[in-house]
Amino acid sequence: MFRSKERKETDSVNAGSMADIAFLLLIFFLVSTTIQTQKGLMLPLPAEQDPKTVPMNERNIYKIRINSNNELLVEGEPRLNLVGLKEDIKTHVLNEGRLPNYSINPKKAIISLKTNRGTNYETFINVLDEIKGAYYQIYGERVGLSAGEYRALDKDDPLQYDLYLKGKEDIPMNISIAEPDNI
Amino acid sequence: MSKFRKKTKGKQEISTAALPDIVFMMLFFFMVSATIRTVDPKVQTQIPKAEELTKVQRKTLVHEIRVGVPIQSELGSQPKIAVDDHLINLDQIPQWVSNKRDEMPEIYQDQMIILLKADAEVEMGLVADIQEKLKAANARKILYRTLDEIDPS
Repeated sequence: MFRSKERKETDSVNAGSMADIAFLLLIFFLVSTTIQTQKGLMLPLPAEQDPKTVPMNERNIYKIRINSNNELLVEGEPRLNLVGLKEDIKTHVLNEGRLPNYSINPKKAIISLKTNRGTNYETFINVLDEIKGAYYQIYGERVGLSAGEYRALDKDDPLQYDLYLKGKEDIPMNISIAEPDNI
Repeated sequence: MSKFRKKTKGKQEISTAALPDIVFMMLFFFMVSATIRTVDPKVQTQIPKAEELTKVQRKTLVHEIRVGVPIQSELGSQPKIAVDDHLINLDQIPQWVSNKRDEMPEIYQDQMIILLKADAEVEMGLVADIQEKLKAANARKILYRTLDEIDPS
């Protein structure tokens, strides 16, 4: 009688504190680690400057300048903000020779972004973001997607990769980042 | 009456036996998806926001350069360049790039991506100088690290 009672008491190990231990470990990992997200604006840098300058048709170049006060000069005209810049870039790229001041065809269209040495990095990123946004909108529209959906296409999936290629076909993202001025 | 009493007696507390399993699952998720903060950032970087981001698929291709004001105030208030866990000069960048490239597997060496994590207040002059050095070192892919912007529209 007495023996059976004792056996009943040591029936199972109490696992109630297991959760506490696991929580402690979890919190340790939450605090000591970071989830790395490597997202950003990708830009290929040009090769080392060739001393020969290639003659370029002026109308193909869409010039954006930023001075040291972070003020914008777009195609020779000052602008107060980035409103409408995206649309303007799209008209420039997709002009196909219609309007005289815009590009001859999308392949030759270049967006030139030049900063001053004193320009804020943030302003530069904002303008670069607008330019990339304009191109992604163009790519997206060609395959019936929004810019965000186009960017989210998974390149490992052959079907989506096809769409991705179709979107950017014949319209290279010609973004030229010129060396900044000293003044 | 006796029927009711029986029912209340049979009611027990909710079993928490599955709780450790759930917590362990979360723990494993964090252990796998996160990396331990190994590098000392050395400089402050408040990175700008942008919308049109691209994500890097293969993280081993990425090497990070940070630009910003040093955290230690004795080092001055001018923006400095930091890689891994030390500060470097502009002239040391090509050397650093080629060291990093040598560490990579040979098939990926030409796909190296330099992640530029620069503070929003840094001036473009310094950024351009870094780009020049990267060009000279034949590192042609640059990723401006930015934060996700919540789309206002």
